[in-house]
Amino acid sequence: MEMPEYFEFCGRVNLVAGHDALEQIPGLLLSMGAKNLMIITDQGVSRAGLVEILVQSLDSRITVRTIQDEVPPDSDIDIVHTLARRYRKNTCDAIISLGGGSVMDTAKGMNILVSEGADNLRAFTGAGVLKHRLKPLIAVPTTAGTGSEVTQVAVIADPDHGRKLFFTSHFLIPDAAVIDPRMTLTLPPHITAATAMDALSHAVEASICLAENPLSTALAHDAIDLIRCHLPRVVNHPDDPAGRLALATAAALAGMAFSNSMVGMVHTLGHAVGSVCHVPHGACMAVLLPHGMTYNYHRTQTQLADLLLPLAGEEIFARTAPRDRAQKAIDQVRQINQGLHLATAGAHAVRLKDITDKNRQILVPLHRLPEIAGTALGDGSIFYNPEDLEYDDCLMVLEAAFHGEPLDRSSIRKG
Amino acid sequence: MIDFMEILPGRQRLKRVYLTLILWFFGRAIQAAARVDHGVKSEFAAMPGHYTFCLGAFPNGPFMVVGKDAQGRVRYLGSSTANRTIHLHLMFKSINLLFVTLTLQESTSTANARDRLFVSGDVPQACAVVRVMDLIQVLLLPKFLAKLAVKRYPDWSLKRRTLVRAMVYIRAVAGH
Ligand SMILES: [Fe+2]
Repeated sequence: MEMPEYFEFCGRVNLVAGHDALEQIPGLLLSMGAKNLMIITDQGVSRAGLVEILVQSLDSRITVRTIQDEVPPDSDIDIVHTLARRYRKNTCDAIISLGGGSVMDTAKGMNILVSEGADNLRAFTGAGVLKHRLKPLIAVPTTAGTGSEVTQVAVIADPDHGRKLFFTSHFLIPDAAVIDPRMTLTLPPHITAATAMDALSHAVEASICLAENPLSTALAHDAIDLIRCHLPRVVNHPDDPAGRLALATAAALAGMAFSNSMVGMVHTLGHAVGSVCHVPHGACMAVLLPHGMTYNYHRTQTQLADLLLPLAGEEIFARTAPRDRAQKAIDQVRQINQGLHLATAGAHAVRLKDITDKNRQILVPLHRLPEIAGTALGDGSIFYNPEDLEYDDCLMVLEAAFHGEPLDRSSIRKG
Repeated sequence: MIDFMEILPGRQRLKRVYLTLILWFFGRAIQAAARVDHGVKSEFAAMPGHYTFCLGAFPNGPFMVVGKDAQGRVRYLGSSTANRTIHLHLMFKSINLLFVTLTLQESTSTANARDRLFVSGDVPQACAVVRVMDLIQVLLLPKFLAKLAVKRYPDWSLKRRTLVRAMVYIRAVAGH
């Protein structure tokens, strides 16, 4: 492993993971001097009965003051402001965020307001603006993908101004991430597959992009190893608690990795596809990941070769000649995608043109690729990508991903 | 034994003079390139009108302030941030870190990956400004130096490499 000349890593995460992890929450809250709870979640989680499981796991020492389940799929500033008012009205002193990335980010945003005694979230955008600890926040993820339960970032839309607000601070890392397989047991196979591929893309990008470092890479490799060992089984047997715990743990490890070493073009392009065509993030990640690895091949051969071990296991790693390992790692990701495609009867897409909504409508039409490429140039992750990307490069990768054709390595412009 | 850190006020002052000069020329080159280079021109065209950004070292500078007015004209606005609304800050965490980047010991992307600067403002515009900085470095520096600053040295037309580059230099020196 190569050693960077300089790196930063913040590992301020309290992970509580296990089959009865939820039952630890009252103790965690009391140790932080809190007992009046606001639970933030969304309708999907609420309908799946997960709020009840959570509330039943609490005991009489804790009072649930209010349960707010109106977080939209793409969190925005209005709901953050509304929730902050309700938090104050109900004199809460701690927060549990129960959900996926949007719920996590909403709770982080609201926590800024209620902790700083402020009314306008816009005043806190950027890095390093927060100077104090926030109110106790416990994150309970209900998908195994985003890793937002352990990251120092929150992204919240500001639709009135047509922009996204970014918040970065060590203080945004939740006080505890409670990972309990009961929370992910009911995820359908194709969502399990897509969210796991999101976690996989965090791990891969954390180990090949410009801010890679030994700590992030170690976490990322462990995350990939867990995904390889458990994802195929869980997609076929969704009610496997041990596998669910492993995948949720992998997502948290990958989250810790990329929270420190950031992500690159797979996310640059994936965010753009998501925002232009409203495609779920995980589905974009699955399709784009092998293309992003190929695009950066000439700059990251060593790191890609190292990834083969967790991606394929010891036997294949040992059998592959060192010079072939990087390409084999990319092939392995394609193979994982193909396996998921078969296991979900095609619901897990491996090409952009195959991504559809519930009504089988195509979500990413070919004629929107130029707009997606233009949007991608405004995504901050582009600067962490090892190779440079201009408009034409983005379009080339998107076209390859659309048709499901591997990129021709000789056509990639190299620096 | 106690090791004392040697404080070299002379050297710090030299750094400040060097950076002030570089940023002054850089600012004028941006203004010039926004008129004559299509790449820089189109980056600014996509920015909102009345937009001002500042590149510099936290907390006491030196700074470079560049703005686009409502008519779309791009101007170097000097080295002072006083009495100005600045929409985007690209601020290196110290004068030494700015020096390391502006002496090409660390490329812009490496500096970013190592968290050497903080950015406050909208991300799409910050991306555009970083691309403008890359273009200016390619325009101003000989290839072997510019290669240290950017991830991928671009493959430009002969006209852009010669005529446009000369025009940026002349206009930056003359202050047009
Ligand atoms: Fe992601």
